[in-house]
Amino acid sequence: MDSVALRRLGFRLLWIALGVAFAFLVQWVALSSGQFNSNGQRLFFLAGLYVTLAVSLNLINGITGQFSMGHAAFYQVGAYTTGVLAAKFYSDGAGLASKYPLPWLIGMMFAGGLVAALAGFIVGLPSLRLKGDYLAIVTLGFGEIIRIIVQNQKSLGGSYGMDVKPKIDFIWLSTLLAIATIAISRNLLKNVHGLAFLAVREDEVASSAMGVRVTRIKIAAFLLGSALAGAAGALLAHHETFISKDTFPMDLSFIIVTMVVLGGTGSITGSTLAAITLYLIPERMRDLKDVPVSYAALGVIMLIVTVAFVRRTMEKDFSKLRTVKLVAPWFVSIVVVAVGGAALKNVGPLSKVIDGQQLRFVIFALTLITLMLLRPQGIFAHHEFSLQWLKKVLARFTKRSGEVAS
Amino acid sequence: MSLLSLDKATIQFGGLIAVNQVSFSLDKGDIFGLIGPNGAGKTTCFNLITGIYEPTGGSVTFDGKVIAKAGKSAGPESIAKMGICRTFQNIRLYGSLSAIENVMVGGFLRHRTGLFSALFDLKRAADETVELREAGMKLLQAVGLDDVADVRSRDLPYGSQRRLEIARAMATQPKLLLLDEPAAGMNPQEKMDLMEVVRSIRDQFGMTVLLIEHDMRFVMGLCEKIFVLDHGEEIAFGLPEEVRANPKVIAAYLGEAH
Repeated sequence: MDSVALRRLGFRLLWIALGVAFAFLVQWVALSSGQFNSNGQRLFFLAGLYVTLAVSLNLINGITGQFSMGHAAFYQVGAYTTGVLAAKFYSDGAGLASKYPLPWLIGMMFAGGLVAALAGFIVGLPSLRLKGDYLAIVTLGFGEIIRIIVQNQKSLGGSYGMDVKPKIDFIWLSTLLAIATIAISRNLLKNVHGLAFLAVREDEVASSAMGVRVTRIKIAAFLLGSALAGAAGALLAHHETFISKDTFPMDLSFIIVTMVVLGGTGSITGSTLAAITLYLIPERMRDLKDVPVSYAALGVIMLIVTVAFVRRTMEKDFSKLRTVKLVAPWFVSIVVVAVGGAALKNVGPLSKVIDGQQLRFVIFALTLITLMLLRPQGIFAHHEFSLQWLKKVLARFTKRSGEVAS
Repeated sequence: MSLLSLDKATIQFGGLIAVNQVSFSLDKGDIFGLIGPNGAGKTTCFNLITGIYEPTGGSVTFDGKVIAKAGKSAGPESIAKMGICRTFQNIRLYGSLSAIENVMVGGFLRHRTGLFSALFDLKRAADETVELREAGMKLLQAVGLDDVADVRSRDLPYGSQRRLEIARAMATQPKLLLLDEPAAGMNPQEKMDLMEVVRSIRDQFGMTVLLIEHDMRFVMGLCEKIFVLDHGEEIAFGLPEEVRANPKVIAAYLGEAH
């Protein structure tokens, strides 16, 4: 082995070690110091799964450009495959799964991934003939078919659901799966094969004229994306110990699509960050108590005003744009809402309160609308996080503030 | 020896006969012009040769193999691999990919490493990527775009985009290069440059070129043989001077005297 290959191997091992170390770090943070209860620990576990789901859907939607809206179905297929297998091999705490939890769980990830990939292959077939909206509708329909089949299948617990025993709870494994998904996507884009995937997204006619096997690439994207989602499903099943139709609600697929679009279609970094944020926003707001109407009403009004104002600023000459002008309105409106809300709290009808649990989803929706209005290309657009990118952004930032100073 | 030959190739869309029993053959190493008024069926001919459309009658033979006959075509991907590549009338670059990435996609069809090695970033996939990038840079140099290799193709000026399409097609290492209106929208200087590029491609890489073009000075200056289509039918074939003097061609372009 020559020195270049050795160096390459060294770097590879270093990255893998870093990934594993990070996964254990996440588990340590979640479990230690007692600041998180079991619900808080669950957040860490599920965040990993959501990142996996978003990044794997990004492979299909973002990189290959096949608009799929049934991603939760693959997640579900993975979970139910695990459920069925676990029921077969579990016998009151003495089965394979209880004796060797880690190998069992890893095996289940492969099994769930395999069956989900099969489902992905079937869904991928219409993508050979359909595009855009039409494909979205077909994949959406497919997701529903799976959901309804599961709901009505007695052997899968029907609408009651099914137990998955034993409970196997490795937070690090969920983080590691997310890291592996990110690594696989990134490796693909680093090599020329990834360019072929992007080419299919950009222009199918030109790609086939260049000899790119469009069919094969679309199928590969569906296989890969659904297998990863299936593996996530396997982890979920053993973590929750109970899966039912309510574990995979209809809007789950939409939320995953939203994560991909919001992060910037095609950007791995974007999908990852959007998955974490969009998952945590509604979760963290579970503690939201009753909110007086004065705050809510003023908040909505100020949001509309601020968005309109910021949009107008953005439409002006971009080279003269100053970051302050984009940030300041937000601070102003927060102050206005805080002060005005408190002042009007006792005025007539404004003194009523709204249930925080209902408001949670309104806030979630408003966040999405605001982001889409101000940055329709997604938070990261087509960019990826890298040192080069960071330098570029910093350079632009310092240049602009330098101009302001002079 | 003829590289490509069409034998009574016909394409019919419902009641419209877009290409009607067209027969011609191309010799290796020629620069060949395909001209005719708008709607004459030139681009349809290209789509037929590259496998985007299937002929409804007749056949197409390339390099001794039948690549299309009535109701059947080898398909664009196989035809590209056999050695026919093209550019498009309305530019079809991969807009959000950089110039060099566009060319690398062109070179991808002869890839040797599988998807697996790419997903795990194995050395052989990385090596192949580097190889294709280097080959691509050479092609960009040949069309004079090596200094904008990392610019997104959408952001390139029009003339550069046309040349980039040629470089991308050449990356597939074709034996026959089809150019669909390569000079459209170019200024006279860019057109002169393009003529040089096409000529040098033929000389350097021994490629056969078939091009559609409306600019007569460009066609007459560059092509060795010219084929004229009108309403899907062949009306003339021959050397530039012969075609220029052919009364049928003049009538097709200018209308007949009454």
